[in-house]
Amino acid sequence: MSTQTTLETAVEEGRCGDRLWLYATYHCNLACGYCLTESMPAIANRRTLSAETMIRVVREAQELGFGAIGITGGELFMLPGAAETLAEIASILPTVALTNATLFTDRLLARLEPLAELDIALQISLDSDEPDRNDAFRGPENFAKVERAIPALLERGITVRIATTVEDQTEDELARLCVLHRSWGISDDDHIVRGVVRRGRAELAGMGVTPGVTDILPELTITADGAFLHPFGPTVRHGVTDLDLLVSRQVAPLERAAERFLRLVSDQPVGTDVARNIR
Amino acid sequence: MSRLRLLQRDEAPLPARSIYGADGSASPLKRSLANAPDLLETLLPFLGQIYDEGAVDLATKELVVVRVSQLNACRYCLAAHRPLALEFGVDEQQLAAVCDEIPLDSLADRERTIIEWSDRYVLDPGAITDELVARVLDYLRDDQMVELAILIGATQMLNHFCTAFDVPPTA
Repeated sequence: MSTQTTLETAVEEGRCGDRLWLYATYHCNLACGYCLTESMPAIANRRTLSAETMIRVVREAQELGFGAIGITGGELFMLPGAAETLAEIASILPTVALTNATLFTDRLLARLEPLAELDIALQISLDSDEPDRNDAFRGPENFAKVERAIPALLERGITVRIATTVEDQTEDELARLCVLHRSWGISDDDHIVRGVVRRGRAELAGMGVTPGVTDILPELTITADGAFLHPFGPTVRHGVTDLDLLVSRQVAPLERAAERFLRLVSDQPVGTDVARNIR
Repeated sequence: MSRLRLLQRDEAPLPARSIYGADGSASPLKRSLANAPDLLETLLPFLGQIYDEGAVDLATKELVVVRVSQLNACRYCLAAHRPLALEFGVDEQQLAAVCDEIPLDSLADRERTIIEWSDRYVLDPGAITDELVARVLDYLRDDQMVELAILIGATQMLNHFCTAFDVPPTA
């Protein structure tokens, strides 16, 4: 059976998702308390995927039958040329790119304008409608920067989703956050709320929930360290990458990593995923 | 201290976990190799076949493995294979000889000839002569020489690996 057919079957059976994730870089301008990857401005090992690598992987993913791409980090827009790389990737497969939206200068926003014509969403992290509360999680002035960036992106026709990572927010607080994103014209369907995963910096801080291997939908995830079972796999503690959810060190050709990934997910029971809505 | 992470079972990549026992145990060598799970797919079956009994009996194989490890001064492999050699029928005197504790001359002709050839194979393969091969062929067939040659190569690989990464005999 070809890798493409095996993937199609696994997706149909609910054993894995058809989205392939890329960790563009572990470098970030923020240092969030719950960060899975210990990303921060002074990170010693940025584990950056080159634009050429990401585009190659996405082309191979399309050939293998993956249906969508997710890009995360670190902060994608720490990379020079990220806007253009994103446009090229989104021209190949539908894409969601996670960003903290704090680096969107007028110049960068202009470079992002071609994304309006492509099947891509920028998923922006926002944890509270209260600036102080949000900034306590995500860093000084984060709220103000996000509040400026979202309308600017929407004005340019770029699709925006909001992602909220829940630790101790109240229901009222989350409800007010929904009022806020609706006021920007972002629907509830484009607001993702998920818990903190107790890995990486969150584990060291004693935050979040510890997922089992089958609690999270497997989605092949490519990093500079190799291929992982899902995007919550390639976490970092004390500067060292966790390997417990490593699927393969080899990511070129992508088919080798995909075969190993599919072999693992075929061993897992159907329908055990997303018990905690961790996506 | 090892220069590689010696992964516990719950830290190890999912594809590598089958190399651990039900109680989570694995040798320090296996725990270091778990860092590269892709290689294990072929490396462990390969090593399994090389080190298991084949055309050559286990006592001869272990005698050669200990000798090669002695030549390469591999602390890890000597600690691992000296007990195995005794278990598979190498006697104390043979073991002492290949570990340079007593002269190699104390070995019987068969073992001395095989060790002479093994030493040349490790230290100076260009110095292996037709005459030496002819003497080895008094005791081994061609296919058995091939098997021992591959065993020596695999042992050298592991000797260098364990020494270069300072894999500890116990951890």
